[in-house]
Amino acid sequence: MSEYIVEMRHITKRFPGIVANDDISIGIKKGEIFAFLGENGAGKSTLMSMLFGMYEPDEGEILVRGEKVKLSSSNEAAALNIGMVHQHFKLVDNYTIAENIILGIEPIKKIGGFIPYVDCKGAQEKIRELSKAYGLEVDPCQIVETVNVSIQQRVEILKMLYREAEILIFDEPTAVLTPQEIQYLLDIMEELRNKGKTIILITHKLEEIKRIADRCAILRRGKLVKVLNVNETTTQEMANLMVGREVVFEQEKSPANFGEVLLEVEDLTVRNEDKFDVVKNVNFSIRRGEIFAIAGVSGNGQIEIADAIAGLIKPQKGAIKLKGKDITDESIRRRTEDGMSYIPEDRQRLGVILDFSLEDNLAIKRYYREPFSQKGILKREGFQKFAEELIDRYDIRSGQGAKTTTRSMSGGNQQKAIVAREISLESDLMIFVQPTRGLDIGAIENIQKHILRERDKGKAVLLISLELDEVMSLADTIGVIYNGELQKISPAEELTTNQVGEYMMGVKS
Amino acid sequence: MDTIMIDGLSFALPLFIMAIGGIYSERSGIVMLALEGLQGFGAFVGAMTVILSRFYLGNSSPYLIYIAMVAGMIGGSLFSIIHALLCVKFKARQVISGVVVNTLAVALTTFLTSVINGIITGEASNKFQIGVSSRFTVPVLSEIPIFGGLFKNMYPFEIVILVIALYCWYLLYKTKFGLRLRACGENPHSLDAAGGDVGKTQFIAIMICGALSGLGGIFIAYSVSGIFSPTIYMGYGYLSIAALIFGNWKIPRTFAVCLFFGFARSVVYQLLLKLGMPSNYTDLFLILPYVLTLLLLIFFSKHNHPPRAVGEIFDKSKR
Ligand SMILES: Nc1ncnc2c1ncn2[C@@H]1O[C@H](COP(=O)(O)OP(=O)(O)O)[C@@H](O)[C@H]1O
Ligand SMILES: [Mg+2]
Repeated sequence: MSEYIVEMRHITKRFPGIVANDDISIGIKKGEIFAFLGENGAGKSTLMSMLFGMYEPDEGEILVRGEKVKLSSSNEAAALNIGMVHQHFKLVDNYTIAENIILGIEPIKKIGGFIPYVDCKGAQEKIRELSKAYGLEVDPCQIVETVNVSIQQRVEILKMLYREAEILIFDEPTAVLTPQEIQYLLDIMEELRNKGKTIILITHKLEEIKRIADRCAILRRGKLVKVLNVNETTTQEMANLMVGREVVFEQEKSPANFGEVLLEVEDLTVRNEDKFDVVKNVNFSIRRGEIFAIAGVSGNGQIEIADAIAGLIKPQKGAIKLKGKDITDESIRRRTEDGMSYIPEDRQRLGVILDFSLEDNLAIKRYYREPFSQKGILKREGFQKFAEELIDRYDIRSGQGAKTTTRSMSGGNQQKAIVAREISLESDLMIFVQPTRGLDIGAIENIQKHILRERDKGKAVLLISLELDEVMSLADTIGVIYNGELQKISPAEELTTNQVGEYMMGVKS
Repeated sequence: MDTIMIDGLSFALPLFIMAIGGIYSERSGIVMLALEGLQGFGAFVGAMTVILSRFYLGNSSPYLIYIAMVAGMIGGSLFSIIHALLCVKFKARQVISGVVVNTLAVALTTFLTSVINGIITGEASNKFQIGVSSRFTVPVLSEIPIFGGLFKNMYPFEIVILVIALYCWYLLYKTKFGLRLRACGENPHSLDAAGGDVGKTQFIAIMICGALSGLGGIFIAYSVSGIFSPTIYMGYGYLSIAALIFGNWKIPRTFAVCLFFGFARSVVYQLLLKLGMPSNYTDLFLILPYVLTLLLLIFFSKHNHPPRAVGEIFDKSKR
């Protein structure tokens, strides 16, 4: 028998207009943590979905425990003790944790020997045991929608363990977790490896790989670049291989050159649906050529400030002035035309219409104007030409160019498209909310570069980010928000990371 | 009083069994507007079988009623295959498919009834005269004051429906099949990832729905009206959809709603008889329970939770 528990040989997989995996060969050893690293859209999920039986490769073969296998459904993969935690969880929200875990392999008992029923009690017992054995705390009687994502993820892991999986695939498991939860998950993975499981980790976060992985395969645009032993390499080397060029972790920033005041926010108070003031009497202003960053722990009112300025929610009181003009009661379209661009936090819900084509999404804020329409009739050529220009200038990658359905694009490229659209509006005020969340380093670098470029062009930039590093490296002025109040507004160079952290926690004031 | 109880129950139970069918389909993720057509087609097949069987068994055979039930269920479930094929296999719009099934049922059964009548009697009538099934009274229970009426003059159908309803509840909540079926309606991807067959589960759910609707339909034809004719399409199916929505897609609550519909109707009817109103006004007042229902729906529907994935076309590769 070969030294590998899983071997994939010359795997090629095509989707319309794109080769998602191009002649990839890898071997994974029993009992190791094997990582797949690659930018969004590099083909990681596709490759592992084939090992899990969700797609079949167009070319190449898969060997499990030395034997050639044909995996045409996840059932067959499960029978080979392969389990997968998907990027988007597959849980029934209103079922209990136990019901979710047993779904598909329900234990059956019989009343009086002939009326069969699903044995939830017995399953709960078995789940409690498993959960103890691996340190995965859950209460099997809880309903899934009442627990947080970290616990939902534990449910997904328990689902695999309940099916006695030996090869566990995790598809970007940390994307949805907080730093503490990530820590916990990585510990669990090490624990699983120590108990003899083979773990495949898909991610684009270098620190995670550095911390727990034994080996790492790097994919770029569907091709295998290299397989590395993690303890013989550096984060910089992995980053460069993944992106295909030298990566700069710290953006270079030219000295600031402030102009006149562009945005003024006065006494802004925003009330949420529960009649609770989430933003309280906030005052600040942004000048041309300035990046004003609001730092803070998630849920302290920063998103509501951005939404109020963009017109998505109505402030309780206060005024918002753009170029001296009061826009507090204006419609969103008027604000856009007055010179405001908005990159929202929830890009899939507010940023694009997923089932529209890329070109439609790129034109969506201006479709009613020339060259997109004439006398109320859409001009398709205008859409296409404009889209192709942006695709080229902003390196937006997609399967079928301007006509690609936005849903099929990777998150990073969706975000690039939104940023491209908003910048192309040539607005004086740019609002970026969590612009790099969930993106890989290549895309992060790209977006941050654009933010700085806009500032250098003399735009006023409002940046709202939960990543302290991002705030520190981009901001000219930092406002720290805690509990709906701006605790501190100060030029960036007068604050250290630690000080900002303390204001964010409300310990300093 | 007794009449109110007897009529109320015999109106409520066919609604209830159809509503359970709707619950099965919708909780498996398939919008079910076809109850009206399915009950009609089931009633047609049941009635036709009765007419034909009478030649061999005679007019008063006690088996006729059971033959009718089985035939009605088979008819309903066979006809529901159209909806299942359209929705599950060809991934058509479920609302449209439901409307198609309803329209088709009306046209097809009316046509076939005339043709068959033509062959048998030489007269192209659009009615099957099947008469009203025999009734019975449960001895001791029927002596209870007020509620005793529930057990008087019962149709055999009523017992069958209650037993089947109980079994449906057990199947939906206690068995492997039920667990998977409900998962389909909430998040079909969960079942798919767990190795279940979403399409098959939905297909079976729709066929069960067809069988239950067919049973409801033949009940109405064989007990309440005594004939099969196009009047069978007077909205019972839609009413049971209202009942299941009001019942929050849950069997016990839907039962309560159906009883409410049934008794509200028979109470109003008896009242109007007492008052001796002309019949065009009676019809007007008979809508009172439904108006009331509409109002209640407005107030309660906030707390209602339809299955999350109902109406969504299941696509394995969608992310
Ligand atoms: N079902 C699909 N249909 C069409 N294209 C797809 C599908 N799944 C993935 N792709 C495309 O294949 C490429 C690789 O995707 P994926 O494997 O999800 O990347 P990763 O997981 O590395 O981010 C992307 O360009 C993506 O748009
Ligand atoms: Mg992926």
